Amino acid sequence: MSDLLSTSAATWRDSARDQPVLPIELTANQNGASVRARIKGLRDRHRLRRERAERVYADSRNPARGWPVADERAVVRFIAGKIRERRWSFTALVLLNALAAAAALAIPALLGQLIDRVTAPGPATGLGSLALLIVAVVVAQAVFTFAGQLTSTLFGQNLLASMREYVVETILRLPLSRVEGASTGDLVTRVTRDVGTMSRAVQTGLPMAVIALLTVVLSVGAMLLNSVLLSLPSLLVIAGSVVQVRRYLRRASICYIAEGASYSRINTTLTETVEGARTVEALGLAGRRVVAEQDDVAVSAQAERYGVTLRNLLFAVIDVAFNVPTVITVVVGAWGYWNGYLTLGQITAAVLYVESLSGPLDRLVAQVDRLQVGAASTARLLGIATVPADREPGTAVPTGPELVAEGLRFAYRPDHDVLHGVDFRPRVGERIAIVGPSGSGKSTLGRLLAGINGPRTGSVRIGGVELLELPLEQLREEVALVTQEHHVFVGSVRDNIVLGRETANDDAVWAALDAVGSADWVRRLPDQLDTRVGSGNLALTPAQAQQVAMARLVIADPHTLVLDEATSLIDPRTARTLEGSVHALLVGRTVIAIAHRLHTAHDADRVVVVIDGRIVELGSHDELVAQDGEYAGLWRAWTS
Amino acid sequence: MRNFPPVVSVFHTLRGETPTSAPDIRSPSRFLRWQMWQQAPVIATATLVGILWQLPLTVGPWLVGRAVDQGMLARSVGGTLQWAGLLLLVTIIGAVFGIAMHTLVVRSWLIALYGTTLLVTRKAVQLGHVLPRRSPTGEVLSVASSDSDEFGALTEITARGLSQLVAYLTVAAIVLLTSPTLGLMVLAAAPVLVGAALPMLRPLHSRQQAERTRNSTLTSMATDIVAGLRILRGIGGESTFGRNYASQSQFTRQAGVAAGVWQAAIEAVGVLMSGCFLVVLMYAGTRAVDSGQLTVGELVSFLGYGLFMVGPIRTFFEFAQKLTRALVSAKKAVAVLELTPPWREPAPPVPLPDRGDLVDESTGFVARMGLLTVVVSSVPESSAELADRLGRWFTVAEEPPPLLESTGRRWGRQARTERREQRLLMAVRDAARAAEPWGVSYGGVDLGRVPLDELRRVILVSDTNSRLFAGTLQEAVDPHNALTREQAEEALRTAAAEDVYDALPGGWAGELDERGRGLSGGQRQRVVLARAVSADPRVLVLVEPTSAVDAHTEARIAERLAAHRQGKTTVVTTVSPLWLHHADHVVLLSGGRVVAEGRHEELLTGEPEYRDVVLRTMEVAHV
Repeated sequence: MSDLLSTSAATWRDSARDQPVLPIELTANQNGASVRARIKGLRDRHRLRRERAERVYADSRNPARGWPVADERAVVRFIAGKIRERRWSFTALVLLNALAAAAALAIPALLGQLIDRVTAPGPATGLGSLALLIVAVVVAQAVFTFAGQLTSTLFGQNLLASMREYVVETILRLPLSRVEGASTGDLVTRVTRDVGTMSRAVQTGLPMAVIALLTVVLSVGAMLLNSVLLSLPSLLVIAGSVVQVRRYLRRASICYIAEGASYSRINTTLTETVEGARTVEALGLAGRRVVAEQDDVAVSAQAERYGVTLRNLLFAVIDVAFNVPTVITVVVGAWGYWNGYLTLGQITAAVLYVESLSGPLDRLVAQVDRLQVGAASTARLLGIATVPADREPGTAVPTGPELVAEGLRFAYRPDHDVLHGVDFRPRVGERIAIVGPSGSGKSTLGRLLAGINGPRTGSVRIGGVELLELPLEQLREEVALVTQEHHVFVGSVRDNIVLGRETANDDAVWAALDAVGSADWVRRLPDQLDTRVGSGNLALTPAQAQQVAMARLVIADPHTLVLDEATSLIDPRTARTLEGSVHALLVGRTVIAIAHRLHTAHDADRVVVVIDGRIVELGSHDELVAQDGEYAGLWRAWTS
Repeated sequence: MRNFPPVVSVFHTLRGETPTSAPDIRSPSRFLRWQMWQQAPVIATATLVGILWQLPLTVGPWLVGRAVDQGMLARSVGGTLQWAGLLLLVTIIGAVFGIAMHTLVVRSWLIALYGTTLLVTRKAVQLGHVLPRRSPTGEVLSVASSDSDEFGALTEITARGLSQLVAYLTVAAIVLLTSPTLGLMVLAAAPVLVGAALPMLRPLHSRQQAERTRNSTLTSMATDIVAGLRILRGIGGESTFGRNYASQSQFTRQAGVAAGVWQAAIEAVGVLMSGCFLVVLMYAGTRAVDSGQLTVGELVSFLGYGLFMVGPIRTFFEFAQKLTRALVSAKKAVAVLELTPPWREPAPPVPLPDRGDLVDESTGFVARMGLLTVVVSSVPESSAELADRLGRWFTVAEEPPPLLESTGRRWGRQARTERREQRLLMAVRDAARAAEPWGVSYGGVDLGRVPLDELRRVILVSDTNSRLFAGTLQEAVDPHNALTREQAEEALRTAAAEDVYDALPGGWAGELDERGRGLSGGQRQRVVLARAVSADPRVLVLVEPTSAVDAHTEARIAERLAAHRQGKTTVVTTVSPLWLHHADHVVLLSGGRVVAEGRHEELLTGEPEYRDVVLRTMEVAHV
């Protein structure tokens, strides 16, 4: 086996360990340097931080062991399609919020008129009626605001609900081979963090961005209506900030994703330290864990510093660009007033417009920011839908329950076959145990026999039909791979049992519970079959959970079971209490057990010994012991 | 002035560090005060900077008014330019100090946030395996991940609130000096405008709370679907759980809409109130201008100040809210940080002898020096307990059981309280237990008289709950960076973990995910074993080291480990015959006592109980 370590010398690092987590440029002390050197240092650090954030972002987009990510165009297409489905409520949202914004914009103009009347020569007239008109406009604005906000909530909530339901639907359609193969960690992140980010973007970000955009556009229109002379210079100054705003927006979402990643890293490290407290203490790793946490914090601090600088660069421009127009309005206004181009009322209105414009502009920038982060998460969610199907069901119907495997070869990586031409033919109703050292390919063989994966070459047929050509519903009635069965879903006891036959009635459920010996305790539950179990509800004991899992299989009723002892419910340490349940489940079925414990082999009708991807021995326990080969040696070691 | 990330080295101080200030944990408010005091210079500077940042808001409208009166209306080019110039200056000052303010509040926020995380880390390693006995993992983690954020928020709102207070007073002075009546209107309106929304805040918050609750249920349903996805795709049930998710999603949507109605109402009332106030102010102002009590410029200033006051008042409310939340968080933080390890430094500390037998008084167990001793028991827990005692570990068996049968919410609170009391009791018991002689001796020295650090170096107990950490395979096998490549290879071979090396792209540099997720249970177990072997302790105690490994591999490991530990004291608890063949000495544990010992073959023939236990592992299979 030593050839496995053939790359050891090349990958072992003697001195490269304990390197500082940050490059020296980011931590260097600049005290005493000249101003020029300091500014250069600042720029260099900012660039380094940007590159780091971009790397984190790129990694998060294409996780090494994760699921695919959709591209941005797919996100835009998807959202556009969803908006089109709701075009009427979207139109209402735009219309009502536009009316609210228009009413808000009428007020400064009316206030300006008030000023004009008061400054006009002679006693002011009609102040009261003008004030009443303004009150009416204010009331209208309030009404439209309410209606507009309400429609945007409805729109955002509906859109969000439909998007998250779509995501879960796609997850529930993921190909079987990928589900069995990949780690679920990345999927968990997607349904928690990415759905959360998407929610914030869809629920509030999208409507608010639309409203802010409307307000900005209408404000600009109102300013021009009020006075082109007064507004053009101001608008030009504001427009000048667009370059910097766009530069910021291009970088910001990358920065926030990098920050988010740095915080989840901090939490992961701390979680490991706390959950592994005993290991840390036993091995004297306290110092290592502290340093690891400090390193994570240092990395996170750099991501935050990048964000601070990005925002400062933005603020420097927009704080000036959004506030200087007031100064311009005063100066241009004075000039226009002296020359009789402008009235005081117009100038007052212009000052109010300019001052009220910065709010929606800020909001627009913030919401676009949020939308971008949301879009990145949505891309990861939509990526789930791009996983290609792993089988094309045909129409052939199996003629019987006999399973035949011929010439099986299989590779997880190209040119690395883990099975080298396996032929195997269990008899109907037979108990078979597959034994062999780890890495011998016995688990892979189990997966091929259960129709999870298709062989690279060769065939696995049931009743004459290739397993991979059976529709999933049909396959499940033929053969099931029993792994991880102790998971109790959040839902009722019934939900947890009828999985394999969702049409099963209560009688069938009780019969299954009876068979595995669980009917008694279920009957004692407060709501019997309707009792809610799983995380956050009534907790089942491990034995009860296993019985539920077995009842599930009894209901599904496949004629062949493939058990992987390493991960399945058939655990020798609890088997004593569940003997009856297990017996009820296995009786009358063909059982192929990937055995870790030799007693499973001892009790099987036939034993298959797999070594290095080949079947080297096949026969009953007694035959193999008599053969005096690999199995016999192991058995002697076990029993003597 | 401090900067982030802060340096924290209290609770568990590493070599070469000097301990930083310990948090004041006498009460939550003292803890908050300590947090704020730590950063007093940052917060004070931020407050001063914040005052200048607000300058365009506080004096801007006044300058505009001056420009109208003394420039525009006076038809004075000089006056206009002078006041406009001042306005420009103020705008630029505001922008510059805005940047400084932003930089400073981020700094104070992150010092608090990172500082808390680092405090929790140090506390966790200080407590070691005692931590889970004192506090649920979730509570410890949430102090670092969410409560820390509340402390950061408090530093920010403090600086912003103080600077807004100054701004508020400045503006109050300006408006009262300009026109006492209108000034009073402006001052009185602000609390009214903010207060108008208050009656609606309660229904809004309760609906938002409902939305959050339903949303977290929804998230856990999605997580649940992913966790059980293999079953759903393998056995079926997609439509049941898809339907359950969809109906919860709609349920959550309804709560969101209900909250949205109140949100919209609050917005609309805000618009209505502030609009009406502006009209009244404007109307009264124009009357005053008409009667000559007010200049046009002053009226324009008032227009600018009309809604300014709403900002500070909102900030003050926000401060009150965040202070309350920070106090709640401080309570949780104190609950974690006030925990102390039960151990006392032995007086006088006695070094462990270089050689000797490991003897447990209560069971009568003896691990002879240099031998491989296998402990057999029909109850796996009692072997695990013995192993814990041999290494001076508090044993998991004493911990209160997890909240398994806590149904409904009604009992949740009561169960939690009971549990907290149980934990307190256990802290007292642990301290008492740590103070008395431990009852296990090595070379004749009771382990209670030996400094814990030294003990951990000499006796390594690898229990079934041993964890892997994220990092490279090299770091996993050699966490202390103390091995040569040959030694590491040897450790990997001894644990028969070469296939893990082969499975990871990059060999030694191959990355393990957190907790070794991504490896199978058997692979994880063998890497853990390789790590224990490579630590090469004088005494190695392995609890069920091959429970997740197939028989072929188990046989290989037993053989290699026995050879590798030749001449070194090793204890293994297992009932597998594959190990027993290689044992120098076998001990049968029953009813908390050693009832028989000898070689495997002798015990098989001479001890019926032993034969029962060992052979039962085979009989179980008769299902």
